[in-house]
Amino acid sequence: MFEKLQIFQMAHAMAQHAGARQSVLARNIANADTPGYVARDIAPFAESYGSISDFAQRATRSGHISDNAGGFAVKARAAAAGATDPNGNSVALEQEMLKAVDAKRQHDRALAIYKSSLTVLRAATGRR
Amino acid sequence: MNDFSDSLSLSSSGLRAQSQRLRHLSENIANSDTPGYRRKTVAFETVINGDTPGAVETGRVRLDKAELEQIYDPSHPMADESGNYDGSNVELVIEIADAREAQRSYEANLKMFDQARQMSSSLMDLLRR
Repeated sequence: MFEKLQIFQMAHAMAQHAGARQSVLARNIANADTPGYVARDIAPFAESYGSISDFAQRATRSGHISDNAGGFAVKARAAAAGATDPNGNSVALEQEMLKAVDAKRQHDRALAIYKSSLTVLRAATGRR
Repeated sequence: MNDFSDSLSLSSSGLRAQSQRLRHLSENIANSDTPGYRRKTVAFETVINGDTPGAVETGRVRLDKAELEQIYDPSHPMADESGNYDGSNVELVIEIADAREAQRSYEANLKMFDQARQMSSSLMDLLRR
């Protein structure tokens, strides 16, 4: 377990993913009343973790977020199309709030994993 | 960390835009009985270039081109030969509905701001131990 400390890497990637998602959701909510704005989302962590292969992703636009060191790559994409307002805006506030709670819980979970692994590591090295 | 500061500034841009909208709405409501007043509307736009791409800002203030209400009152100093004068084209119901929507969006932005702050402070707690 502690040869490569992969669990820390994974917790790090998970927290980072939650942070990236939070930023995308904040953008959606800020633009909840902007005409023509299309809601965006990023792929769930389970899908994007380990998606990084031999060739690293290239960011060709400023909207592309990729962090190859963290072991995962996220890319903002259009969210599943729901109902669109007459002015072309596809942000549903309720849905965004739900996703935001999801992101927060994921972040908390990642930090809890990190913390408890740290405690195990400290116990293993004999320090308290 | 960059994501958090991004979401904080995105949320605050939303807060600013919504409060600007509410300001114009209250201007309209205050002037709903002013003769010849045209209601002001403001459109939201997404910032494409700038510090935080994707933030929201308010565009130019436009005047509603709808017909002014004709009010019949021959004793009014601004009345024409037929006894009518131009009122304002403010519809109170529309303004109130718009204000509700602005409030709802404002609260959502505030919630996101608070959440991003909580997330970054719980990250800081890791260091504190």
